[in-house]
Amino acid sequence: MDKGVRLLKWLTGGPPFLFLLAFFVAPSLIMIVASFRFPGEYGGLAPLIADGKANLTLETYRFFFSDFIYTQVFIKSFVMALATTLICLIMAYPVALLIARSSKKFRDLMVLLVVLPFASNFLIRVYAWMIILGPQAAFSRMINGALGLFGFEPVALLFSPFAVLVGMVYVHLPFMVLPLYTNLEKHDPVLLDAAQDLGANAWQRFWRVTWPLSLPGVYSGAALVFIPVLGMFAIPDILGGTGDILIGNLIKDQLLGTRDWPFGSTLSIMLTLVVLACAGLAMWVSRRRSYA
Amino acid sequence: MRNKWLWVASVFVYAFLYLPLVIVIAYSFNDSRLNAEWVGFTLHWYQVLLNDEQMLRAALNSLLIACTASGIATVLGTMAGIAIHRYKLKLLPVLVITPVAMPEILLGVSLLLFFIQVLNLTLGMLSVLIAHITFCIGFVAIIVRARLAGMDESIFEAARDLGATPWQTFRLVTLPLILPGVIAGALMAFTLSIDDFVITFFTAGVGVATLPLQIYSMIKIAVTPEVNAVSTLLMMLTLGMIVIASRISPEAIKGNA
Amino acid sequence: MNTFLTAKDTKVHKGNPGFVFFLRALCVLCGKSFLVFWFSQAALAADVLHLYNWNNYISAQTMERFEAECNCKVVQDYYSDNEEMLAKLAAGASGYDILVPTGNAVDALIRQGALRPIDKTQLPNFRNLNPAYLNTAFDPGNRYSVPYAYTLTLIGYNTEKMKALGIPADTWAAIFEPRYLVKMKGRVTVLDSQRELMAAALKYLGYSANDTDEAKWRQARDLIIRAKPYWAAFNASSYIKELTIGNIWLAHGYSSDMFQAVQDAKKAGRPFTIGYSAPKEGAVLSLDSMVLHKSGPRPDLAHRFINFMLDGKNSAELTNLIGSGNPNLDAMPFIKPEIVANTAIFPDRERLAKLEMLKDLDRNKRRVLSRMWTEIKLR
Repeated sequence: MDKGVRLLKWLTGGPPFLFLLAFFVAPSLIMIVASFRFPGEYGGLAPLIADGKANLTLETYRFFFSDFIYTQVFIKSFVMALATTLICLIMAYPVALLIARSSKKFRDLMVLLVVLPFASNFLIRVYAWMIILGPQAAFSRMINGALGLFGFEPVALLFSPFAVLVGMVYVHLPFMVLPLYTNLEKHDPVLLDAAQDLGANAWQRFWRVTWPLSLPGVYSGAALVFIPVLGMFAIPDILGGTGDILIGNLIKDQLLGTRDWPFGSTLSIMLTLVVLACAGLAMWVSRRRSYA
Repeated sequence: MRNKWLWVASVFVYAFLYLPLVIVIAYSFNDSRLNAEWVGFTLHWYQVLLNDEQMLRAALNSLLIACTASGIATVLGTMAGIAIHRYKLKLLPVLVITPVAMPEILLGVSLLLFFIQVLNLTLGMLSVLIAHITFCIGFVAIIVRARLAGMDESIFEAARDLGATPWQTFRLVTLPLILPGVIAGALMAFTLSIDDFVITFFTAGVGVATLPLQIYSMIKIAVTPEVNAVSTLLMMLTLGMIVIASRISPEAIKGNA
Repeated sequence: MNTFLTAKDTKVHKGNPGFVFFLRALCVLCGKSFLVFWFSQAALAADVLHLYNWNNYISAQTMERFEAECNCKVVQDYYSDNEEMLAKLAAGASGYDILVPTGNAVDALIRQGALRPIDKTQLPNFRNLNPAYLNTAFDPGNRYSVPYAYTLTLIGYNTEKMKALGIPADTWAAIFEPRYLVKMKGRVTVLDSQRELMAAALKYLGYSANDTDEAKWRQARDLIIRAKPYWAAFNASSYIKELTIGNIWLAHGYSSDMFQAVQDAKKAGRPFTIGYSAPKEGAVLSLDSMVLHKSGPRPDLAHRFINFMLDGKNSAELTNLIGSGNPNLDAMPFIKPEIVANTAIFPDRERLAKLEMLKDLDRNKRRVLSRMWTEIKLR
């Protein structure tokens, strides 16, 4: 019987396990090794073994840390991810709250309305902002008209960090709404009634009751927004201006532009470490919260 | 009183979500190749689209890859979901979740290196297929497991007590019960695969343009309202999928992350 | 991430025939598409020439005529940047009979041993070529490459705006000098290409575009960083559209793209015209050549294609379509006279002397340049 259970366990869990071992774990290891190798003269990687010796180096890491510039790109991406997460949170919270407090009939519809924009490819959603923010578009003219009234110089909206931020928020907003809603939906309305009976005003009820209870939803929403933004390259590519370079763009350039695979791998590993650190931090914070 | 402000804020956010889509659709009927100002109504861009062999080839590629990848990923993901739930595995959940949780670019880069350095595989259909399966497994497994988690364990015990073989239990009890989750997972995987840009970008090599890659190069090189036309059609397709998925199983929507 | 994935258990659809049907349909669909997929791979084995070419770099009619003549099919894939093509080949792209790389990429491909030598006995039309474009530094004796077409990297501009603002459009100063840029802040784009932008800056400073001296690179970098705040974007090719709409007044880009912008503006009936010219300090000449990739299964068809494209009439068709420069003497009578007269497409002797082709960089220089590029973008 015991043997049978083990067999069954392998029959069900084995195939996906092996698949992921082969096409997720192994590639990750290869990437780690690649970061210690020399770039090939014409791209790709130099041979792993030269003159009977392993042809490995720490040079790429030295190059990464030798000056501040790459760290700066990381900081920039980090700030961008943080800003996106915050704006998403501010925009998503009222929607999630409204959905959670609506009647059951409307709830599914409203959730569906949040999800529906997913029905179009994300490149297209980004591209839409290219049209909206273009200097000839009504929106830009309106903004610049308003700025002109107050005597300010007109600003270019497209190809700017602002455009990148808008694109990031737009693409990732639903990722924040859904976990928040799932959390808020579970709150017991009795708690709020009790708070009201005890004389708490609306503001207090929100900050003392709803907000603390919704923190797990906030954390998972934040993770779902923050991490993808950190690695994003397409949005700065399409909407960004002369200075919008994030880690993702840097990695992409190394692999598909400069033909410097070891450095691309090194950057990817650094990104992995940053993501893991963030995830670890989030877990630590949420655990400490739940003990408190 | 509070609700009023919630309404105002929410209407604003919903408008923010939908305005760009409306513009994309509207401009697909615009009689100007520049996509800048409204000139007049035309169906010309849909006609251009239907005669654009490259775009159609890309659409076919996308469809083939999405069908195959979601099919295989559904089988593997369902197995993973069941195994994780049933045997309380430790390592498999990590393997299943990580590709989903990491920035996509990392999976793209590592697979690119792996295919070329280790497998010596020419990038093409097969590499894209493998890459898509890898990230789809996680989503299917999560949805299936979520469905299993809400179930009464005693049903399976009862089946076993009544003498059903493991295969019979699976086929006659487990599968029908988790089927909505499985289908939702499959649809989810399909939508993700047909929509994926980042990972495909790294693993496609040349010659196997998928629709998102084609759209990207059009946006970067020459934007005509043909992009809007193809987007509009694509939107309708995925919209259909999502509506079906949400009808079958609410988990599908929530798993969309 | 699991927190919101908790199951909301709905009605259990036990044995619901609709769902079973759905699942079956899905399975059948997947199985079928899998078969189609493998068959379509196998079907590619017929008489097919695989061409890996620049985007929009061959006329559709030319292609149709060749297909009719050789009774085969031409399958094309596209790239928009040499580095992209090299990177994709380094990433294992294969099966291409013909590539159309620019000089420095030809150099890299030859040294990698990725190319097949050309058999000139199969190319009677080879003698049509202008000797000025043969025997280049990257392929002496043209053992591997046959010139196809060329473009200049230059400045395109909104003629009326330049006149109104008093900006000279025949010098790189228009792109790098703040005293000019200040009049058109946010209306200038430059190419999103490390090599091209660096080359423009080096040329403006009076150096060779191929100078690899790091001190000079740093000088060029500083020049770029000084001008950057005035630029709207680094741009790969959408400047064609931006110039045509009127969003952008000055763009660093390729002559063939500018040619298109001129025509688009005309067609759209814009109240302004687009002009372009090669700066007097000199510019980059990109000579694109047809080469045979080793992975190509059909060198026979490839030679036929090259010979076909060397025919004056066929070669002229491309120039008339996209305004590329033409290294084929036999093509000249077939090219529209206004194109022949355009010195930004067919430079006179004096201008030609100042043009330079880019050479490939070694891996260390590539890394140094890439680092500078990151710095440029960050500042």
